[in-house]
Amino acid sequence: MRGYGPFYFLAEALRGLRANGVVNLLAVGTISMAMLIVGFFLIVFFNVQSAVNKMGERLEMSVYMKEGLTQHEKDFLFYRLKMEPGVKKVVFLSKTEAFAMFAKELKGQEALIQGLGENPLPDSFELNFEHRFPESSSLELLAKKFSGFPGVEDVSYGKQGAEVLSGLYKLLSYGGISLAVLLGVSVVFIISNSVRLALYSRGQEIELMQWIGATRGFIQGPFLIEGTLLAMLGSALAVGILMAIYYSLPSEIMFLMSRVNGLDFLPPSVVAYMVVGGGLLGLVGGLVSVRRFLE
Amino acid sequence: MIQLYRVTKYYEGVPALNDVSFIVNKGEFVFVTGPSGAGKTTLLKIIFCVEQADEGQIIIQGINTFRLKSSSIPYLRRNMGFVFQDYKLLPQKSIFENIALALKVVGTPYGDIERRAYQVLKKVGMHDKRHLVPPKLSGGEQQKVAVARALVNEPQMLLADEPTGNLDPESAREVFRLFRDINMKGTTVLVATHDWETVNKMRRRIITMERGRITDDGTQRASDVHLRVSPRTEEGTDGSRMNEGEP
Repeated sequence: MRGYGPFYFLAEALRGLRANGVVNLLAVGTISMAMLIVGFFLIVFFNVQSAVNKMGERLEMSVYMKEGLTQHEKDFLFYRLKMEPGVKKVVFLSKTEAFAMFAKELKGQEALIQGLGENPLPDSFELNFEHRFPESSSLELLAKKFSGFPGVEDVSYGKQGAEVLSGLYKLLSYGGISLAVLLGVSVVFIISNSVRLALYSRGQEIELMQWIGATRGFIQGPFLIEGTLLAMLGSALAVGILMAIYYSLPSEIMFLMSRVNGLDFLPPSVVAYMVVGGGLLGLVGGLVSVRRFLE
Repeated sequence: MIQLYRVTKYYEGVPALNDVSFIVNKGEFVFVTGPSGAGKTTLLKIIFCVEQADEGQIIIQGINTFRLKSSSIPYLRRNMGFVFQDYKLLPQKSIFENIALALKVVGTPYGDIERRAYQVLKKVGMHDKRHLVPPKLSGGEQQKVAVARALVNEPQMLLADEPTGNLDPESAREVFRLFRDINMKGTTVLVATHDWETVNKMRRRIITMERGRITDDGTQRASDVHLRVSPRTEEGTDGSRMNEGEP
């Protein structure tokens, strides 16, 4: 089948971009402002998330064993715990080790320890979790599951800490998604307006193309590429501005922030997603306008 | 080639076409005449699938347009050239680019575009002005370019809506001569016009319309029938000599 490929559409799109230079420049500027906000919140999001992850790593669960378990039973329990999804590390803590740790924590108050007489602490397994696991509900389920397990005396974990972490995760996720949707809709709106202006300025040509047998794809192709390119340019510009701001921050501020949890720039994959995602939003904006115009 | 059966089209309840039926065979040259508002333009728009009829059946090149999906309309139009009263040339593009656009639209390979555009412009005598933009040309020249654009994809059918409405008599005659030549090479031509003088001189089939209805369909009006042995020669409105059967 004969026809023109993506290079023709790209050349036509570039011609269109040049023809409506001022309007397109304004659109790129507006998109980059919207994407700048997205980028700023992404930086905040990723940095807070990394902090939350670090806190999550520190979250532990203790599975206390009943007295008199055989080595075989202990091994069985160890492997069952290790197999649980989200569990990163399982460490056996014998009652002697636990007591030693306890004694170390109560240094200076030896009288209290002496008062205890025989070591009352049981053997236990200490669990650490994967970054994303500490959902309070998942931890609660895991605790419930192993509480009733043969050979297990009790399960304890920092319930309050887990709930705070889980809340933070939710706030970040839902807040981030809402903001992204809101700004995504604005990008679609900006692009659809910009493409609409391009469509009106070339209305005569489009009408003529319809009369001389142009298919819908042939007419809309360049406009969709135009919308995609505009949004990608805007997004790339936003990333550039963010990078410029990030690297021009005074070293004192960077040092101050790195004392907390380290202020990192967006990972390259997120930058790529931002530019490609912006392009997709541009494509949607272009489609909205072209469809309305051609109908 | 074109078959219309009892076609009716309403605009806000008022019939622009009313029970219109006719057949145009392959290779025919047909004039559609009538005063303004007779329904000539609506008729052409319906044939060209710009408008849809409210009643009746339309068969173009064996295709029932009622059953045609909107995505198939461009492919049907590629077999029909259309010439407009206002030329519809893109003013910012050169004559060559205007013709090239029609070739690109149908997916002509890049290597063929220049040659084919040149050939068709030569056919209408506009090849020397191919680098100019339309506003630099006279009305007659612009219409010739528009005819070239309509012909460049070698359509089986040419439709023209008042193609000489904005032209001086000599330019109009040249455009009609082009139509006659195209028709002689086998293209079906359907021209909507109220240029009675040319219509009568060309002695082709005339469909006369009034208030959306066909009032007459024949080679010429009864009042124009004369018995003659040899073609009559007479003077045109601008003083030039014209032969009967020619524009």
